[in-house]
Amino acid sequence: MRYLTFALGKGRLAKTTMELFEKIGIHCEEMKEPGSRRLIFVNEELKLRFFLSKGPDVPTYVEYGAADIGIVGKDTIMEEGRKLFEVLDLGFGNCNMCVCGPQSARELLNHGQLIRVATKYPNIAKDYFYNKKHQTVEIIKLNGSIELAPIVGLSEVIVDIVETGATLRENGLDVLETICPLSARMVVNQVSMKMESQRISGIIRDIKAVL
Amino acid sequence: MERTIHTPEGVRDIYSEECARKRVLQKKLHKVFVSYGYEDIETPTFEFFDVFSQEIGTIPSKDLYKFFDREGNTLVLRPDITPSVARAASMYFLEKDKSQVIRLCYQGSTFLNSSSYQGRSKEVTELGVEMMGDASADSDAELLSMTVELLKTAGLTDFQVSVGQVDFFKSLLEESGMPEDIREELRELISNKNYFGVEELIREQHLAPELANVFMQMPQLFGGTEILEKAKTMTNNEKALASIERLEEIYRILEMYGCAQYITFDLGMLSKYKYYTGIIMQAYTYGTGQPLVKGGRYNNLLAHFGKPCPSVGFTLVMEHLMNALSRQGIEVPLTWKTQEILYDETNRQEAIGQAMAMRREGKHVVLKRKEVCP
Repeated sequence: MRYLTFALGKGRLAKTTMELFEKIGIHCEEMKEPGSRRLIFVNEELKLRFFLSKGPDVPTYVEYGAADIGIVGKDTIMEEGRKLFEVLDLGFGNCNMCVCGPQSARELLNHGQLIRVATKYPNIAKDYFYNKKHQTVEIIKLNGSIELAPIVGLSEVIVDIVETGATLRENGLDVLETICPLSARMVVNQVSMKMESQRISGIIRDIKAVL
Repeated sequence: MERTIHTPEGVRDIYSEECARKRVLQKKLHKVFVSYGYEDIETPTFEFFDVFSQEIGTIPSKDLYKFFDREGNTLVLRPDITPSVARAASMYFLEKDKSQVIRLCYQGSTFLNSSSYQGRSKEVTELGVEMMGDASADSDAELLSMTVELLKTAGLTDFQVSVGQVDFFKSLLEESGMPEDIREELRELISNKNYFGVEELIREQHLAPELANVFMQMPQLFGGTEILEKAKTMTNNEKALASIERLEEIYRILEMYGCAQYITFDLGMLSKYKYYTGIIMQAYTYGTGQPLVKGGRYNNLLAHFGKPCPSVGFTLVMEHLMNALSRQGIEVPLTWKTQEILYDETNRQEAIGQAMAMRREGKHVVLKRKEVCP
């Protein structure tokens, strides 16, 4: 039997995923060892391999078949636009992709005028403003602390993930528009889905049953 | 570093053993095409933009390499050879005799101006065939059996040829009467096997329960012949049923070819469904995350060149095949060994004579002059 390889987005997502997998009998004790510096973890009995990677890299590993299955946020899937099968909504990591800014910026979203949008997700922002809202915008790509941009006058609004909205409120910003809901998804390589159809379909079926 | 010794991102040199193996493999695969009676055709590397425009091809305009000729016409480096072959066929073959069946094969480079840092080649070698003038299940089966033969000839043993049928989805869409944007969204969700997404979208549409159920099941309708049986029980739509019967007929013919064990079905395979008009096929194996072979039936393509004619074809990407072979540890045996004949000034005549004699026998001979010490 071949190894089935899972790519998991680092952090909380990976932890919640492994808890879910344990419910369907997929364990990986190696991963729980504290302070381990290993990059890849193996379950020899079930012939499974797991590795952790940065979220935005998960779709890349899966598209090329370096991993058969990936667990990653919907935001990353939308932003990366890779060719993958998106087979399951795992129902955790729920949050929203939103347009946010100070209340004064609300008015700017109602007209077609050019505004500046700061974001970590240029593709999602572009698609939303160009194809859904039909508003011309200038996208400014940032790598973190996006909330800063409207405060210091780098942009009028931002496009970012909003979980509780606490950070926004503390900085005098509000959700102005919701683009779409997000959650963790299971993605599968298109070739693996066919070549390992039985095993992968089995995993999907089992997870569905415990969701 | 000087730019002159580097290749641009996305293209590369192929040399030594890799190049030799690629040639040998290409020759073997070409033999398969010829053994089915397909004739070679060569079309230009670049053509007018219109040949690959959105209505005709399947590649978005932004992914094409475009440039201008002296008259200001937009030219395109071919991203795909099929439209070129269709254009050529409509010029040279389809006029003479309407009932004629044309079988053409080709090989050459194709070019995609895709985004950077994706680890993807911008130039790949494609081998492919097109069969024009035949709308029967026999012609679909001929191409599928040829795909199996090709992959076996390449040395693969563990592979799968997956067959889809866009007519099934199209006839159900027609029945549903959903608006265009919803259809597109549904197609995308089904072809991404996004079970939940499909369910959510279909629930909002208030379709007849039976129809809603088929759409919801479509992401899971892949596997052996049993899924055809299953699909038939799920709908009364005559066109949809006929499209499944077509697949069954193809399967029966493939049994006669003796290659049915490599065939699976996937009714949710709906990429580019506007381009294809019947079967869609993709071949997979281990070691490459992408399909090795892609193709299908496109009965509307030739109409763009003024000669409507049913056609079916496929292309195989050499790079994907070579990757899969090397990752599976399958050797492409080189059938020769290059021999060397050493000579110096005293025996030059004899050496040349012997080398030429051996070359005429088909041996590979290098004449090597002994270095004279000064």
